[in-house]
Amino acid sequence: MRFLKVRNMDINGFLFVFMLSTIMLNLVISLYGVFARPSLIKKIIALTILSDSGNVLAIAVGFRDWPSGWSPSTPPVLNVTSPKASDVVSFARVAVDPLPQALVLTAVVIGLAVMLFLVFLTLQIYRLYGTTDVRKVAKLKG
Amino acid sequence: MIGLNSVGVLVPSLVGFAFILPLLGKLIKNVKFFHIYAALASLWAAILATYNAYLVFTAGTQVYPFGGWPPPLGIAYELDKLNALLGMVTALVMLAITIYSAWYLKDYEGVAYYYTLLLGLEVGLIGCLYTGDAFNLFVMLEVLSISAYALVGFYRSKPEAVEAAIKYGMFGAVATTLYFVGLVFIYATFGTLNMADLAFKLTFYVYYPVPNPFSGTFFGNPYVASAVALALALWAFTYKSAAFPNHFWLPDAHPEAPTPVSAALSGLVVNVGVYAIVRFLYTIFGPSAFVVQLRDAVLIALLVLGIASGLIGALMMVVQEDIKRLLAYSTISHIGLVLVGVAIGTSSTLNQNSLAYVLGLAGGIYHMVNHTLGKALLFLVSGILIALAGGSRKLDDIGGVGRRYPLVSLALFLGVFQLLGVPPFGGFFSKLLIYSAYMEAGMPYVSLMVILISAISLLGYVKLIYASVFKVGSPKVEQTTKVSLPTAIVLALGIACLVTGLATTYITSMMFDVVGSFATPQGVYDYWQSFFNTLLNLASGVMR
Repeated sequence: MRFLKVRNMDINGFLFVFMLSTIMLNLVISLYGVFARPSLIKKIIALTILSDSGNVLAIAVGFRDWPSGWSPSTPPVLNVTSPKASDVVSFARVAVDPLPQALVLTAVVIGLAVMLFLVFLTLQIYRLYGTTDVRKVAKLKG
Repeated sequence: MIGLNSVGVLVPSLVGFAFILPLLGKLIKNVKFFHIYAALASLWAAILATYNAYLVFTAGTQVYPFGGWPPPLGIAYELDKLNALLGMVTALVMLAITIYSAWYLKDYEGVAYYYTLLLGLEVGLIGCLYTGDAFNLFVMLEVLSISAYALVGFYRSKPEAVEAAIKYGMFGAVATTLYFVGLVFIYATFGTLNMADLAFKLTFYVYYPVPNPFSGTFFGNPYVASAVALALALWAFTYKSAAFPNHFWLPDAHPEAPTPVSAALSGLVVNVGVYAIVRFLYTIFGPSAFVVQLRDAVLIALLVLGIASGLIGALMMVVQEDIKRLLAYSTISHIGLVLVGVAIGTSSTLNQNSLAYVLGLAGGIYHMVNHTLGKALLFLVSGILIALAGGSRKLDDIGGVGRRYPLVSLALFLGVFQLLGVPPFGGFFSKLLIYSAYMEAGMPYVSLMVILISAISLLGYVKLIYASVFKVGSPKVEQTTKVSLPTAIVLALGIACLVTGLATTYITSMMFDVVGSFATPQGVYDYWQSFFNTLLNLASGVMR
C-alpha cells in the first residue's frame, strides 16, 4: 500500500501541503476574527470561515493517495458486480472515503442552524441596543 | 436485539415529543395542555433512563447500534455505569424542573416554544451522555447548545438576556467547531470515531500501528494528532463545563435564563462537559493509551484549572448582590472541585497508589451528582423567593421573605448544607473523598485547597441564607402567589440531597463500582468487549 509521501515534492505534493497550510491559516485568522473583532457581524463572518475551514479539512482527510498524480482518487462506487478480494483492495486504495463527507454534511446543517440563531440574536441586539459593536453593548449594559 | 430497546428508543422518542410541539402550539390554545404534555414527556424520559440504569447495573454494559449497523460503521449508544447513572440523575432532575416550569410559566403565552427548547435540552443532555460515538457527541453537543443558547435568550426583549445569549452562543459555536476539527484529526489518524474502537486502537497502537493514508506526514503522526485532538476537544469541554478561564459566559448566561432553565443549565449542562472530559481522559485516552506524558500534562493542567475555578467561583460568590448570580458563581466553584476530583488519574498516582485514583474519581463523580441535586434545588428555591419578593433578584429586596414560608426555607437549608458539605449530607462525603484521595496521593496542598474553597464559599452561602431567611426587611410579599407545587418539588429535591448523604455507604460503594466500569483496565476491557460482541453479532447476521 502506497501512502502519502510529501517528502517526494512533486507539484501535487506541493499543492497538498499548500492547501493544508491555507486551511490552518484560515482557522487561525478566523479565530482572531471571532475573538478580536468588535463587530458582531464580523464575528459571525469569521465564525462561518472557521466552520468552513474545518469542513474543508474534513473533506481533504477523506482523499486517499491524492498527491500522486498518476492514480487520482475515484468516487466510492465499486463498479464490479461480484468483487474479488483484489478488487476490494484496489478499490480501498483509490476510492474517496465517504464518511468525512457525511460528517461535513451533518456539520454544515448544524452550522446553518447555529448561524441563523446567531444572526437573529444580532438583529435583536441591534434592535435593543442600536449597535452591533460589542464594546458599546457592554457599556450600554452597564 | 434491534426491536424496541429502551436504550435506543429514549432519545429519538424525546426528539419527536419535542419537535411536534410548535405544530401543536398552532392547533391547541390551552396552556394547561402543554404543561401536562411536557411533564408526561419528561416522566417518560425519567422512567426509561431509570430503567436503563437498572439494566446497566444488573446486566452490564448495554450497546444499541442504530439502524442495525455494526458499531464502527454506524452510530451506537454505549451505556456503562457512568453514563447510565448520570443519565438517570439528569432525567429525574429534568422531570422536577419541567413540573416546576408549569408553575413558573403558568401565565405565559408562548409556552409551546419554551417546552420545545426545554425538551430539546433534555434530548441533548441524554444524547451526549448515552452516545458511544465521538462524532455523535458533537451532534448532541450542538443540539444541547442550541437549546441552551435559545433558552438563555428566551426573554428576547430583555437586553441583558440577549447579550448573555450571544456571548454564550458565539464562543460556544467556536468551541464546538474546534471540537469538530479535533475529530477530523482523530479520524485522519485512527480511522474511526467510535469511542470503544478508539480506546482499543489507542491502547494497542504501540503494538499494532494502524496504517493510515497520512502515515509519515504531519497528519499521520499519532502523537501530534492525539495532542491536537485532545487540546481542541478539552477546550470545548472546559468551555461547556465553565472551568476557569472559560467561565466568563456563565455568570451572565445562567442568571438571565428563566429560573427553571437556570437550574437545568447550572445543574445539568455543566455536567456534560465534565462527563465528556472524563470519558476522553479515562476511557478513550485512558491510562493504558500510548500518550502517557500528554495525558499527565493535561490532567495536571486540569487540576490547576479546577483549583483556580474553585477559588475564583468561591471568592466571586461573596461579593454578589444578585441571588441567581451568586448561585451561578457557586456552580463555577463546584465544577472546579469536581475537576480537582477527576484530575487525579496521572500515571504516577495510578502506578503508586491505585486507592487514591479510585477515591478521587469516585469523589468527583459523587460530587457531580451532589452538586446537580443541590444546585437545581437552590435555583428552584431562588425562583420561589424571587416570585414572592415581587420579581427582584437583588438579595436586599428579598429581605427575609423565606421566614414566612418555612418549608421553602427548609429546602433552602437542605440545599445549602448539601453544597457546603455539612456532615450528614452528600456534599460532605464527596468532598471528603476528594480530600482523602489527595492526602493518599501525597499531595496534601490540594486537599488543603479543597478545604479552603469550601471555607471561602461558606461566606457566600451565609450571605444567601441571611438575605433570604433571617434578614429583617419589608419585602413586598405577594399574597396571591401560590407556592404549594414548587415547594413540594424543592422539598423532594431536598430529601434527595439528604438521601445522598444518609445512604452514603451504599452510594460510595456504588461510585466505586462506577469508577470500576470506566477507569480501570477491567472496565475499559468490558467497554470493548460489549462493543466487539455487538459488532460480531451484527456482522454474523449480515454474513448469513
